[in-house]
Amino acid sequence: MTGRLRVVAILLTAMTAQVTVFEEIRINGVSVELLLMVSVLAGFHGGPHRGAVVAFCAGLLQDSVTATPMGLHALVYAPLAVATSHLEVRLARSTRPFLAAGLAVAMAVGVLATMLAGGLFGLHEVDAARLARTAVVASLMSMAMAAPTSRAVRWAVTGGLPVDVAVKGSGLESRG
Amino acid sequence: MDSFQRGMRDLLDPVRSISETAARPLRSAWLGVFDYDDLRDRTERLEKELARMRGRQLSSEADRELLMRLMGEVGIDYTTLDTVVVRILGTPPGNFSSHTIEVDKGLDDGLSEGMAVVTGAGLVGRLEVVDRSRSIVRLATHPAFRVGIRLVGSQDEGLARGGGASGYLVIDAGIRPDVEVALGEVVVTSGGRSRFPADIPVGRVLDPDPDADLDREILVEPAASLEHLSFLNVVLDPRQADAGPLERG
Repeated sequence: MTGRLRVVAILLTAMTAQVTVFEEIRINGVSVELLLMVSVLAGFHGGPHRGAVVAFCAGLLQDSVTATPMGLHALVYAPLAVATSHLEVRLARSTRPFLAAGLAVAMAVGVLATMLAGGLFGLHEVDAARLARTAVVASLMSMAMAAPTSRAVRWAVTGGLPVDVAVKGSGLESRG
Repeated sequence: MDSFQRGMRDLLDPVRSISETAARPLRSAWLGVFDYDDLRDRTERLEKELARMRGRQLSSEADRELLMRLMGEVGIDYTTLDTVVVRILGTPPGNFSSHTIEVDKGLDDGLSEGMAVVTGAGLVGRLEVVDRSRSIVRLATHPAFRVGIRLVGSQDEGLARGGGASGYLVIDAGIRPDVEVALGEVVVTSGGRSRFPADIPVGRVLDPDPDADLDREILVEPAASLEHLSFLNVVLDPRQADAGPLERG
């Protein structure tokens, strides 16, 4: 129950921040995609199931505040969270720069996919140059919020899960 | 679902208003630092525009007289429609809002979805989403914008759509290929079953596309400038005009 409350708190906070503070900060008309970042990070920290649920809810909230057809953002966010969680499992090297680059790419893919889905629904024209510019700028702007958002999402989606156990070895164990 | 979405936006509206007020000095500083060149270009452009307008005052009056006479000939009187004055707040939240703007009035002021939005010069767009105290306007240049039109010269009626990034409207249905359309011909809304009242100026024909066979596409330059707008008029639906709007222009 606590875990769910945490997720609700994170989603509502992200939504409020998205339509207030981050709406005021735009570069070339592009703003931070905080709810998309929450979705990606929920997949990364919480695994495919939790990630998909959190991302779906984040998508519905994003649809509400942007007045797009209900489900449009959820349609993109949920699969993206699942894909991110699967990639996380397969990552061999998970250094901080590597993860940051992966997050930036996932954000750009999310923005592109959402804009393409919106184009399919006739919400706006699909202009390749504008798409690319928006995806890159939104991704880079969002990355500035990555560290605190990641901590908050991790706190929310790992609530109720077993704690991480750090396994340390001497390095002399036999392999194979 | 629509009620849920509207409810969420209405809940957030007071927070957004406070945030916008609080962020105004910050935004001004931001614009001053990062958009100074843009602001200077805009000021220069406005100064040039003002000088040109002064020089052209007489010819503009003559043009206006001509337009009014033309409209008078076909019984056009759109300036007497009941309207609500709205202030433009900016672009709606999110990164996907091309050809849309947010305005500061909504359901509480008697507005409803589909109403025509105009300026003194003509059609600007229509209300796409209406919340309690805010609304989103879909501009006439939006690719999904459709409006029934009438060519004042030939009296032919057709359907125009927004031309997107081109900034024009395109009449691509209803006009017979053999109809002679003059360059600069006035285009107005056709009314009829549309929620738009008839005879609101839409624009002037920029390219009549006379050589087309079946797929004729007539290019129309919007009468109302869609850039640098501050205030707009929402035309009240006559069926809802008794709802008691707070402010009429």
